[in-house]
Amino acid sequence: MASSDEEATLSIPSLAFVAFLSFFIIRYFMSSRSTDTAAASRRAGQRFTGAQVEQLAQMFPQLSRRDIMWDLQRNGGSVAATTERVLGGRGLERAPPSFQPVIPVSTNAVSTAVRASVIPKAAEPDLITRYNLQSRISPKGKEKEEPAPATGWAANKDKRQEMLQRRRDEMILAARRRMQERDQEASGS
Amino acid sequence: MASDVASKRLWHEYRLLYSHPPEGILAYPIDEAKPFVWEAFIDGPKDTPFEGGVFPAILDFPKDYPLSPPKMKFLGDIFHPNVYPNGEVCISILHPPGDDPNHYESASERWSPIQSIEKILISVMSMLAEPNDESPANVEAAKMWRDNRAQFEDKVKDGIWKSLGLEVKK
Repeated sequence: MASSDEEATLSIPSLAFVAFLSFFIIRYFMSSRSTDTAAASRRAGQRFTGAQVEQLAQMFPQLSRRDIMWDLQRNGGSVAATTERVLGGRGLERAPPSFQPVIPVSTNAVSTAVRASVIPKAAEPDLITRYNLQSRISPKGKEKEEPAPATGWAANKDKRQEMLQRRRDEMILAARRRMQERDQEASGS
Repeated sequence: MASDVASKRLWHEYRLLYSHPPEGILAYPIDEAKPFVWEAFIDGPKDTPFEGGVFPAILDFPKDYPLSPPKMKFLGDIFHPNVYPNGEVCISILHPPGDDPNHYESASERWSPIQSIEKILISVMSMLAEPNDESPANVEAAKMWRDNRAQFEDKVKDGIWKSLGLEVKK
């Protein structure tokens, strides 16, 4: 009896001690990791990537890239948060003049810069431009037809992505084809 | 925790829509790793001014989906009495049952967890075919639809031509 009491009194403080110690160990690791990333982002200066800016700019061509970058900068590079903000109707805050983002280096950095300067004039890009379907439209205005994509769940993420993109492209191109045919019929009759 | 339920449900709907896409409708998460933002495409319904168009939209799901409905926003220009000029769609199925700003919707046509993305998109498709001018989101479109149908149809068609990268003929 006495010995089990003793064990109990021993184990509670020791458990408390272990908990106390592990709290500090975890805290140490967490804080060192977060200061690491903070330092990294301070070194890099920004918390978003070119791909994120590109993605948002394509989704919302009416927004300025500077404002997109400013919002991403402040929410830590969360495309979802920026999207929600825009869709929530709150709009983006204007980037202050002191905000000088380095245009993130991406493979299409040049085209990004060119397009950014064009956007204020063009209201909405058409679907062919938005989804890069120019190459699928031959000079005559007729598109190259591709075999209809198969249905059925693909086990692989990339396969699914590819399939959805094909369905999307086909949907847009088919609509364009129908419109042109209808127009020809109308002008022919 | 709530967002786990939402992710699961969204994944389930994604699989269904992927394997059995309804006619004229395409919808999927833009990035599978972020299931709360979807892209959707709706074919304009037959025998309406919207026939022949493809209308892209973004669906933005709340973390407590399917308790709350998503928000839906058309991406391109779409001239319709029930679509705000910024693209946001105003339709009863996207309004939660507790909240009826217009006081005319019956609870059964509003959002509830037994609805689905597919049902939303089908409802939006029939909204394109049959605008509801009781609570116009785009007053100009509603007025033109009511008073000058021919002009309305021309404007919608011009928008479709432009959106497909075709030159609008004057």
